[in-house]
Amino acid sequence: MSAPRNGHEERGTDPRPENPKRLPRQRRGVVPQMRGRYPDWDVLTQVDHWDEVTRRVVLARVDDVPPIRFFDESEVRSLGTFCDAVMAQTEEPRIPVLSFIDDKLFCGRSEGFQYASMPDDQETWRLLARGLDERARSLEATSFAEAGVDVCIRIIGELQRGELSGGVWERLDPQLTWKVVMSSVLDAFYSHPWAWNEIGFGGPAYPRGYARLGVGLKEAWEGEEAFELDPVRDVDERGLDL
Amino acid sequence: MQTFADGDEVDLVIVGAGAGGTVLAQRLARHGWRIVILEAGPFWDPDRDWVSDEAGSHHIYWTQNRIIGGENPVPLGKNNSGHGVGGSMVHFAGYTPRFHPSDFETFTRDGVGADWPISYEELKPHYERVERELPVAGQHWPWGDPHGYPHAPHPVSGAAERAWAGARAAGVEMRVGPVAITNGTFGNRPHCIYRGYCLQGCKVNAKASPLVTHLPDALAHGVEVRAGSMAARIETDAAGRCTGVTYLNDGRERFQSAAAVAIAGYSIETPRLLLNSASARHPNGLGNNRDQVGRYVMVQGASQVAGRFPETLRMYKAPPPEISSEQFYETDPSRGFARGFSIQTLSPLPIGWAEHVLADGHWGLALREYMRDYNHWSVLGALSELLPDPDNRVTLADEHDDHGLPVARFDYTETDNDKANIAYAKQVMREIWEAAGAQDILTIDRYAHLIGGARMGFAPESSVCDADHRVWGIPNLFVADGSALPTQGAANPALTIMAESSRLAERLIAKRVDANAHRDDSSTPAPV
Repeated sequence: MSAPRNGHEERGTDPRPENPKRLPRQRRGVVPQMRGRYPDWDVLTQVDHWDEVTRRVVLARVDDVPPIRFFDESEVRSLGTFCDAVMAQTEEPRIPVLSFIDDKLFCGRSEGFQYASMPDDQETWRLLARGLDERARSLEATSFAEAGVDVCIRIIGELQRGELSGGVWERLDPQLTWKVVMSSVLDAFYSHPWAWNEIGFGGPAYPRGYARLGVGLKEAWEGEEAFELDPVRDVDERGLDL
Repeated sequence: MQTFADGDEVDLVIVGAGAGGTVLAQRLARHGWRIVILEAGPFWDPDRDWVSDEAGSHHIYWTQNRIIGGENPVPLGKNNSGHGVGGSMVHFAGYTPRFHPSDFETFTRDGVGADWPISYEELKPHYERVERELPVAGQHWPWGDPHGYPHAPHPVSGAAERAWAGARAAGVEMRVGPVAITNGTFGNRPHCIYRGYCLQGCKVNAKASPLVTHLPDALAHGVEVRAGSMAARIETDAAGRCTGVTYLNDGRERFQSAAAVAIAGYSIETPRLLLNSASARHPNGLGNNRDQVGRYVMVQGASQVAGRFPETLRMYKAPPPEISSEQFYETDPSRGFARGFSIQTLSPLPIGWAEHVLADGHWGLALREYMRDYNHWSVLGALSELLPDPDNRVTLADEHDDHGLPVARFDYTETDNDKANIAYAKQVMREIWEAAGAQDILTIDRYAHLIGGARMGFAPESSVCDADHRVWGIPNLFVADGSALPTQGAANPALTIMAESSRLAERLIAKRVDANAHRDDSSTPAPV
């Protein structure tokens, strides 16, 4: 099941299954890695219909990506690799997930809760970077960022399943860490209009609103889906759950 | 807006401009009470301050630190905690069901939870009044005490159509509503435009929150809302009465003098303030001589079950709250657990849906594929009535906030009855999706809402305040929010919190609350 390759699809040594054959290249606007189900849907063509405050907040994610100020260079390497892997961002264009997380931590914006057995979010992210490197070294790699896709995926799986221990992981509950950091990763990724293009989300609709609410309906200005495919079966058949 | 000087002894200081505090202020101001509301967060201008955006809305949640523990720690913040004028109703979905008559006597009927010191009948006229004021839209309601709603039901989206068809096929009755979202213009509030961002603050002002329902009238009758004012402690005198509230405003400590104080900070901040008000006379905090403050905090089991369909449903359209069922609300001994649950449609936006997919165990390419399929899913959520437990409680943590005040710690652990309720509710929702012909089903666990922490009751040994919301032992201190409720039912709490404050105000206006009557007999602290 391999997709036709072109200049945008250099996947390096990534051994994982390709996107489904039918997943088309984006023809209009940008989606991460340029493949989604809505090849002609660009939510950014609708910005003139958004209220000004919303427009400013959303467009800043595209036009004004915050500089890295919280993480150091080594942390950026580890955590950048981590963010790419958990969101399967294997090539450009990428949503700069870590930049948004760095900004949140630098500005001290918190979620409003902290697990009693965990450090605060800032410390959790720094320790995650150390813990990923520690585990990579125990698997004979020089660092998490240098470890290669297979090792990275293995370590992330261990983190998700709570199978890491020793060193940093004595201070950091792996499964709670997974919950805490992934909440920020998902927030950064799925708040980006390129991700909305990928999933066919109509986006902000104030003051215009939505009028066509029924099954199978879309607003005249919304994107058409190129095909439909039940992801539960697809993910299972292609063995994408790691 | 009317303003008062700190030293001017007002009739009442209310801490918190949410559902409970604002309704209380509005009612009393109409009878000439001079009132200041201290609100920790900002005074919102929906047009300027809110966005149609999930990630851009964190400022409307209480995001200062809190510690969560227990065997089932409950995430706070955007899940259940508001910040700013309007409180948590700014981000609530909009469902406004009443509690059932049975909710007021679960101990007598089912041997679980607690009986309330007031009855459904006492609250009923206030339910009716608040439903007209919000106003609530929905079909005639057949459950609990059957009743109608002032606004007609909203149209339902494709996502809810699928859920409704499945429910019918599975033998589950559902109805449209009840939601506090205008169906038609209402005064200066326009019709809902079905943009789907109810949980991010309604820029349209179609969805009710105290900011648009009760506060304008309160301001017109002389209430002052002092935003950006974090209550640090309630002060008391040698006679055992409270004298006002010390608060932090713009980095400065100030004191507002008052003849009476009502706390309306919700289930985490209300107990925290009572505990942070400890003094030589009240070494365990206010109202806490019997170690009751912060106990019996409840959340509802809010498991989500999503169904996948071949057609696009685009669940982001229409308000997330659409149709619901209370068919399973009451105890049915054949189910093997006490009390019950409600079922409601939800419609997570992309980040919310990604959290659902992640909680089902998917990341990387699998997560991306599930997300690409966003438009094909419809989501049902349960509200399982989890029972009050004394060890599910708010205490003070070792950590301090930016003001130097100890932050709250909330420990939560489910009981066996809770687990059985949640499991049963998930099974019913799966049956609905199977009956609807869903190709696949994704189930995750989560919690919603907060109730309890300073509950009303019959005696100081087992509660924090009496039937008139008055803190035991301090005759001019009241708790006027969701923390006063002894049980939570399987209903979203906003309407009941408002109705409770409406009732309290009526009693205060009629002078049925004798400010000098009962005292906690334990002016000297009992050993805890």
